[in-house]
Amino acid sequence: MAVLEVNNIQKHFGKTEVLKGITFSLERGQVLAIIGSSGSGKTTLLRCLNFLETPDEGTISVDGKTLFDAADHKSLSDEVIRQNRLHFGLVFQNFNLFPQYTVLQNVTLAPSLLKTGTAEEIQSKALSLIEKVGLIEKKESYPCQLSGGQQQRVAIARALAMNPEILCFDEPTSALDPELTGEVLKVIKALKSGDSTMIVVTHEMEFAKNVADKVIFMADGVIEEFGTPEEVFDNPQSPKTKAFLAKSFEEI
Amino acid sequence: MTFLEVTSFLFDGFKISLLIFAVTLLCGAPLGLPIAFCSMSRFKPLRAVSRIIVWIVRGIPLMLQIFIIYYVPSLVFEWEIWKNLDLAFTTGRELSFAGRVFAVMIAFILNYACYFSEIYRGGIESISKGQYEAGYVLGLNKSQVFRKIVLKQVIQRIVPPMSNEIITLIKDTALANCIMVGEIIYKANILAAEDALIWPLFFSGAFYLLFVGLLTIVLGKIEKKLSYFRS
Repeated sequence: MAVLEVNNIQKHFGKTEVLKGITFSLERGQVLAIIGSSGSGKTTLLRCLNFLETPDEGTISVDGKTLFDAADHKSLSDEVIRQNRLHFGLVFQNFNLFPQYTVLQNVTLAPSLLKTGTAEEIQSKALSLIEKVGLIEKKESYPCQLSGGQQQRVAIARALAMNPEILCFDEPTSALDPELTGEVLKVIKALKSGDSTMIVVTHEMEFAKNVADKVIFMADGVIEEFGTPEEVFDNPQSPKTKAFLAKSFEEI
Repeated sequence: MTFLEVTSFLFDGFKISLLIFAVTLLCGAPLGLPIAFCSMSRFKPLRAVSRIIVWIVRGIPLMLQIFIIYYVPSLVFEWEIWKNLDLAFTTGRELSFAGRVFAVMIAFILNYACYFSEIYRGGIESISKGQYEAGYVLGLNKSQVFRKIVLKQVIQRIVPPMSNEIITLIKDTALANCIMVGEIIYKANILAAEDALIWPLFFSGAFYLLFVGLLTIVLGKIEKKLSYFRS
């Protein structure tokens, strides 16, 4: 059964239609890469899934339960939205770590405030996540003492600490230089095992091709192409996809 | 009069300056917070009222505000609250200025609360949206995001401008002189008028200077203590 079902999501900002009816579903454990040029609505879609934006139309369901229905005003209250967000995690393009907390405190803050377990459980889980992203020796450092790549890895550990069913990445490597991009992508790739479902908005075509199970190509607020990486990259149907891929793999 | 006698006489006045300073800080700093929130409210009428009050209070000389608080109750409403308080606190032959100190304190608290509120507002608005969003996507509610994520970053950012205001505040207390409150400048003026001593007036500057030096050290320590992170 699909873990995530998104149906006819629409979003306007003023007169600009950013999302013009997005529909797709995702199986548990799958990695979905969303590619497309800037301004095609990729980030807005991710923000809608995390309820940072409220779609004007459409529904979002997780595990068959409708979390959001634009027609139902009850699904818009602060507390309902807060509960809904717990199904998703989000890693931001510019990390957004909490500067006044150490690496360890960044990871334990939300679980401690929301009491997801005993203090010891939260602590040991946080440490194992920090270990997983390869930063255990930095656990007492503050974000300003870390490189961009290290900060992004902390952000990934922080998101994982809340056990989201679906972890979203919003261009996680766009603020990083190529060297640091590699270390972050490796961490994301390593998460791909078993039941962690991920949605990655990315400009890293090689990563999308090699890691993703499904690829969405978005253009002008619609899904132009949806399929396996082989289908989208090797045998694109839409002329827009073909043009975009030609540009992306163009030799300079 | 010996130097020691003058110093002790002036210090009696400086105690009143310090009292006005402390009460203004203790009441004005917390009062600034609700004003800041009103100025940022999404409810437009509330925001407008709050911003107009801040505009008026910051737009009129503090001395004039002291006169307004002091004279308007009796002139307009025939309510002699300050004089009655003066009398109520008088024990000996000399009239107490307790009522006038209250009037000055109210003017100072209102004035400084408005200045503080603008510092708070600037600090709160300078925190990036990403910090709030990072808290929200982790499932925290608005109050948790403000208290646990935003607040400390705001405090770090407002310490330097707050230090500035606090240093200005101790010197502004000299304005209490305009309604005959016995603060240090008033005391120095008495020496000039009654004992023909002009040097104590200039010497009174040393009291401010010393206290500002102390404040600078303390506020600098606080700033340093908060500099362990960069936001």
